[in-house]
Amino acid sequence: MLRHAASIIALTAAFAVAQPAAAQRAAGLRPDVSSVEGGLWAVMDDAEQDAKTRADLNTDPALNAYVREVMCKVAAAYCSDLRVYVMDRPFMNASMASNGYSEVWSGLLLRATDEAEFAYVLGHEVSHFTENHSIEEHQARKTRANVGMALTVVVAVAGAASAAGATSASEAQSIMDATGNMIDLIYLGQVASLFKFSRAQEAEADLLGQKRAAAAGYDPAAAAQSWRGLVLETKGSDFKRVREGETRTSVFSSHPLSSDRIAALDGQGATLKSGGERGRARHRAAIRPHLAVWLREDLRRRDFGGTLVIIDRLAADGEDLGVLHYYRGEAYRMRRGEGDLARARDAYLASTVQPDAPPAVWRELGDTRRRDADIAGAKVAYQTYLARAPQAEDAWLVQDSLSSLERGK
Amino acid sequence: MSMRVIFRAIAPALAALALASCATVSSAPVGALKVGEAYEVSLGREWSDISAVMTGKTKKVRLLSIDGPLLNRLYLTDGLLPGDYLIKPAAKEQPTPVIRPDMSASERLEFVTDSVAALEYQRVQLARPRAAKFGETSAVRFDLNAQTKEGLEMRGTGMVAEKNGKIYVVLYLAPAEHYFEAILPEVESLLASARLS
Repeated sequence: MLRHAASIIALTAAFAVAQPAAAQRAAGLRPDVSSVEGGLWAVMDDAEQDAKTRADLNTDPALNAYVREVMCKVAAAYCSDLRVYVMDRPFMNASMASNGYSEVWSGLLLRATDEAEFAYVLGHEVSHFTENHSIEEHQARKTRANVGMALTVVVAVAGAASAAGATSASEAQSIMDATGNMIDLIYLGQVASLFKFSRAQEAEADLLGQKRAAAAGYDPAAAAQSWRGLVLETKGSDFKRVREGETRTSVFSSHPLSSDRIAALDGQGATLKSGGERGRARHRAAIRPHLAVWLREDLRRRDFGGTLVIIDRLAADGEDLGVLHYYRGEAYRMRRGEGDLARARDAYLASTVQPDAPPAVWRELGDTRRRDADIAGAKVAYQTYLARAPQAEDAWLVQDSLSSLERGK
Repeated sequence: MSMRVIFRAIAPALAALALASCATVSSAPVGALKVGEAYEVSLGREWSDISAVMTGKTKKVRLLSIDGPLLNRLYLTDGLLPGDYLIKPAAKEQPTPVIRPDMSASERLEFVTDSVAALEYQRVQLARPRAAKFGETSAVRFDLNAQTKEGLEMRGTGMVAEKNGKIYVVLYLAPAEHYFEAILPEVESLLASARLS
């Protein structure tokens, strides 16, 4: 049994050894079509073709030019290898395929406080490409599956052989139980290894992304700040399961994943040249035309607490307050928790004094006033809406509400 | 391998088979179709009632189709009360719009558009809200534009009304190419025939 146990431990240790990292790719390189990587590229080429016809593809030339420019700054020599597509999806995400096809989701652009934070995330994605992470992960998955299956067979055979040599039925049963437990451990080891491997790649891309952004002239401190923003948003979620998400993702470790990443980025950031460009005004100018649509899409996720955190971040520098206060009011109105309608009214009122207040704020303020039985206030709000948006498709509906108030209904 | 392990492995397949054998598509023949307790519409042709086979079905929502739910679908709701939804949420963390006790006219329209968005249609836009009658009850007619994830243009039309604190929705959705226009005359007749008791 000891010999068997030693074999098992040796195999388990071999299993836990990290796979050798693939070498950094050269810029401009295309794989041989008959290679494994060539096959992966072909699959991604098809996915890229699909992306071009997706309904949520954002085709705004100015926004796409901005995203492309930042991508090229951090990609440097790899710029011509990459194609980036902006997708209107309300989640903080970006992706990089093995063939250089990249997606940036609107939720990321909305959450990045400035260009430096956005550049860090793009640097992270570019690093997945330059470090060949897709092919590396593909190879590792194959190896893990093969080793795991071989190890399970070895343990099962060893257990059966030992049980056959047992001198009593209870001893044989104990050996078989131990064998079953060991097979379970191997399975768990496979799962944990999957998590660890993925984390190793992500951690590498984090640090390389920060270096890339810093080399392009951006403030390295922005990297950790982008994670801190996400942590705040998670904590602000309306859903307990989301708020506890950090600890759930780190089921195989003792502390939250984001804390690890923030600490690593803070550590490396201290060794890089401090300061650098933040590009806050440029980033805001690029996303400003899309703020209203993206915030409406974010509200449709119906995690209003999370949306409110995003709005707070966007409002921190006092820009676009008419739009932001309006959507803050919308989040409270739609959530309708205790005290939310009063908060909605206050947010709408704050919006109305801003030069960029959307006309719809007066319609919503009118509805809120009417709920509060403030008939005079509701009338004024409805009248203001009709004066500011006489051609609105729903003007008749607001006129109807106003008329009903004037009739005393 | 114990029986428990074997059962756990095949349980999802058994459950799927059991569901498939229970769920049926029934005919919604020409003539009056009663929706819940409160209202009825008149069908000018035979539809299929696919309510039972749609995921997330609810007692208060009837779903009809002629050529299949991807090509045309008609939602008819019984009176929705606060807390009710048109589209059942798949998970607690992915809620869908629900009826509120004091909804304004704009919020009732928002309920429809956000419910369509919850069906994972993209770029859902409500258009041309206009005054209408749901039988004797004041209602709002509207049109809708959306796209599937893959970029297929969708069109919709419908009506929403409120009576005694309950919300009634009729919503027709179909691909803009051919299918929407093909069934539109039938849907217009159906909307004109809607009566609240």
